Amino acid sequence: MEYKTIVCDVLVVGAGGAGCRAAIEAAKHNVDVVMISKELVGKAHTSMAEGGYNVAIGNVDPDDNPDVHFRDTVVGGNYLNNQELVEILVHDAPERIYDLEEMGAVFDRTPEGKIAQRPFGKQSYRRTAYASDRTGSEIMVTLVEAIRRTSVRVFDEVFATKLLVHDGRIAGVTAIDMRHGDYLVFRAKSVVMATGGAGRIFKVTSNAQLDVGDGYAMAYEAGCELIDMEMVQFHPTGMVKPESAKGRLVTEAVRGEGGILLNNRGERFMSRYYPQVMELAGRDQVARSIMTEVLEGRGTPDGGVYLSIAHLPRSVIEFRLESMIEQFEDAGVDIREEPMQVSPTAHHFMGGIRIDTNAQSTIPGLFAAGECTGGVHGGNRLGGNALADTQVFGALAGKNAALFALEHDLPGFDRSEVQSEFERLQAMLERKEGISPADAREELTTLMWEKVQIFRNEEDLQYAVRELRRIEREVVPKIKVDVPIRRFNPGWHQAIEFGHMVITARMVTEAALMRKGSRGAHYRTDADPNDDGNYNIVIRKGEDGEMELQKVPLVITRMNPP
Amino acid sequence: MARTFKAKVLRYNPDIDDAPHFQEFDVEYEPGMTVLDALLYIQDKYDSSLAFRWECRGGQCGSCAVRVNTIARLACRAKVDPDQDLVLEPLEKMPVIKDLVVDMSRTQARLTRVRPYVARDKPAPRPEIIHQQDIEIVRELRKCIECSACLSNCPVVRETWDYAGPMIIRQLARLEMDPRDVEDRISMALDEAVYMCTTCKMCEDSCPKHIKIPSLAVELLRAKAVEAGYPLVEGQQGFIDSINRTGRSVPEKDTPLLKSLESEEFLVENPRGRVAFFTGCLIDYRMQDTGRSLIEVLNRNGIDVIVPKEQWCCASPAFRTGDLETAHDAARRVTEIFERVMEEYDLDTVVVACAGCGKTLREDHRPFIESERGEPPKFKVYDLAEYLIDVLGKDNIVPPKGEVNLRVTYHEPCHLGRGQGVVEQPIELLQMIPGVEYIDDPYKNRCCGAGGGVRAGQREISMKIAARKRGYIEATGADMVATECPFCTIQIRDILKGTDIATRYLPDLLAESYRKGDAED
Repeated sequence: MEYKTIVCDVLVVGAGGAGCRAAIEAAKHNVDVVMISKELVGKAHTSMAEGGYNVAIGNVDPDDNPDVHFRDTVVGGNYLNNQELVEILVHDAPERIYDLEEMGAVFDRTPEGKIAQRPFGKQSYRRTAYASDRTGSEIMVTLVEAIRRTSVRVFDEVFATKLLVHDGRIAGVTAIDMRHGDYLVFRAKSVVMATGGAGRIFKVTSNAQLDVGDGYAMAYEAGCELIDMEMVQFHPTGMVKPESAKGRLVTEAVRGEGGILLNNRGERFMSRYYPQVMELAGRDQVARSIMTEVLEGRGTPDGGVYLSIAHLPRSVIEFRLESMIEQFEDAGVDIREEPMQVSPTAHHFMGGIRIDTNAQSTIPGLFAAGECTGGVHGGNRLGGNALADTQVFGALAGKNAALFALEHDLPGFDRSEVQSEFERLQAMLERKEGISPADAREELTTLMWEKVQIFRNEEDLQYAVRELRRIEREVVPKIKVDVPIRRFNPGWHQAIEFGHMVITARMVTEAALMRKGSRGAHYRTDADPNDDGNYNIVIRKGEDGEMELQKVPLVITRMNPP
Repeated sequence: MARTFKAKVLRYNPDIDDAPHFQEFDVEYEPGMTVLDALLYIQDKYDSSLAFRWECRGGQCGSCAVRVNTIARLACRAKVDPDQDLVLEPLEKMPVIKDLVVDMSRTQARLTRVRPYVARDKPAPRPEIIHQQDIEIVRELRKCIECSACLSNCPVVRETWDYAGPMIIRQLARLEMDPRDVEDRISMALDEAVYMCTTCKMCEDSCPKHIKIPSLAVELLRAKAVEAGYPLVEGQQGFIDSINRTGRSVPEKDTPLLKSLESEEFLVENPRGRVAFFTGCLIDYRMQDTGRSLIEVLNRNGIDVIVPKEQWCCASPAFRTGDLETAHDAARRVTEIFERVMEEYDLDTVVVACAGCGKTLREDHRPFIESERGEPPKFKVYDLAEYLIDVLGKDNIVPPKGEVNLRVTYHEPCHLGRGQGVVEQPIELLQMIPGVEYIDDPYKNRCCGAGGGVRAGQREISMKIAARKRGYIEATGADMVATECPFCTIQIRDILKGTDIATRYLPDLLAESYRKGDAED
């Protein structure tokens, strides 16, 4: 199998908010940085983030400070967060948002000309900085502008398939050039994973096409530890219809700006569940409240609830929620006049690659940042903490990857391992009989949506684990590609992705089965009252190739669980 | 049975195929279906190797732009019309990698060469004070998601990469308007040929974020260039000087319309309405017969027409090229003249037959006057066709009776269709003329290359765009092309020289039918 080798100092896998930020930071140390991206640069899922960036700078509420941000994040995360990482998040968030401004970002302003801040769920103060309701897009555009002024070598539409580990150190990745189909090996002294989440393993999701869990699966296969994989955030407000828009995100900013949730009787039902905070309860709490209304027959005919902002001044809606107007216009709804229909949608993975305070994983030289990591957000992520996460940990991972590269030589690599990986990919491409990626995906995402969703129980989870093991054994090896052409062949890309989706789905489900009590986003209708839940679940691939799960103690710096 | 429609997708694998070819697929229609849904349906059901890009499906990432029935749009936001075949092609100007996936490298390289980021000469203070009012325009221009649809649709880029195209010019305007950026974006914009834009607004029309690139980027940068002392080219400066000297953009040749009319008042018995006629420079100085036709058509429909003897250029050439002093002076004069006429003759409506004048009165004068004095001009402005169809009402139009036995197609002036939203009305009028066989041109809304000061200042590119327009018109097989703008009429007449296709101004064609009808009675 012919392949081409590209050598660099620091390799960044992924080009969203965290990946770009890591590459920019690493390049400051005058090392040779390569960033590979599965999509065209700038098209990553970060651009879909709407609401904002949490930063305790107190521009609107002067009493806010990083300590309060810390408390809100840990309480919001149900005390499962790695508190050492939360300390970094809340401490560095201000400098990182100023970095963005320095690069050219344009956030909305207070009357004094400072960065404006809006209220978001479960936060003590107005803390969420924003650019209308396209904050992620603003940040993505800024980072792409900044990348264009660095010496970072960008390889876009390159799909990493496997991490290479040599003598216990990260050594690079194998990849395919999606455009022309070439097999590539990227060798590096250090690697930053910034591969995002995996919402696409669920049938209904807010996530972009590319969010299939490539990073989780590659890290797992390489022997890396992952943490909190059972913690999947279902955003309470996804679009309900039309069918093709199902699951698309309806930003929390709608509720932040004063939107109210109503059932089919016109009742503001959040008053029954969380009367103190109403619509701005935690995302897990609002999602469960909505689902309860729907399951008990008080939903809309299309299976959601109503979200109304018709009582807000038009000027507020038009200035601060412009994307929402556009998004619902496409669905034939004028949100200035009529209520939106919403229901929960798979949104964010709190879990992921386990990192230390240097953003380093359990494999030396392998760093990680953003949604592909676990620990920062615990059992539930606060709205607005993800964009902050990408910038804080992106910069941290980039810096430490550069320092690591400066201190180490290029590791060797195992040619036979590379050969067999490319042979695997080629065999998949040439398989004519079997199961199409579309059918396999349908089976997997339906299973996950039905059995591993917001309300979980032992029976469903056991069923799902059995099914996933069967899929891994029987379906994955039989995935076929219609046309054996390497040049830009989406069928082939989907076939490769499917294997990653199954591994990720298994980690979520096995961990969910292990956690017997309810905690954060993980809610069991048959919760075991004896499970105090004060632990994290760590997953790794065992020596025997089997998935190993282990409970580990929480990492606490200053707040003990009640 | 589910309803189905046909999707024709241009397939191409440069490794194997000699040339791109269309492949047809039957797609099951679902209400609300987008073009992206149709592509995914084909990929899942028929051929997983069908190549196209997509990510977010929400109009936010800008990956999925393709040509949908000839115009580039985001597939995830373009709705499918099941009554029509869906024709999907890759973006123009970019080499195809496979099927609908194109190579963007050149666009990226072109963008990178303008150093497309905020350049500072000192570190930013932390926190940095920036006032909301100072970033309003930047905020608007920042909405760009670099989908490149505008590049594919730009008539200038289509002919030459000498022009950087709407997306990149927008980025320069974004940086010019950013108070933090210290680079000389004006000279960069001139290097990137900002004066080649015809202001046809195709980019604005197809932009998923509706960014007003012609006004907020192109014209803004041109105005900044003029302010900075860069001279206009001779052809353009000539117009400006003439406006300031005489109130007309062109020199007098034959007796102007306004001088030849014996009266200001063209009144009818039992009028159904009363309007003032804003002639514009070309109808007054070059197309006097068209002016008379317009008065006649309105009179025949029972409308009093007032033609003020004193008129002034709308200064479209000044607005388009960036001489705001001339432009604003003209806007004040025109407003003053027609508000006086309003009072004197008790009317509230001004009719124009020039697409450029109409667009300028509505899109440029109106907001400027409003910002200057807190109140927009008091009169309403209508294009002739729009006035007849929408205000008078189609059923109330006196039907023209004389037969014009011709196959007629229509050229939609950019500043009428996208500039004023007048699209169907001229066609409806054409179809009222007995004997006319109307032939629809799928490319009728493409620029003729005359606007934006390009015919005057950049004749070579103007004629290249026009030549392509000729190809579109010839492909219709029509005997005549009708239009509703003097600049388009002159430009199209020019390029159709040597062919058998006639070019007519819509009021002339209408008047001809009325007169023929009289003779036959």
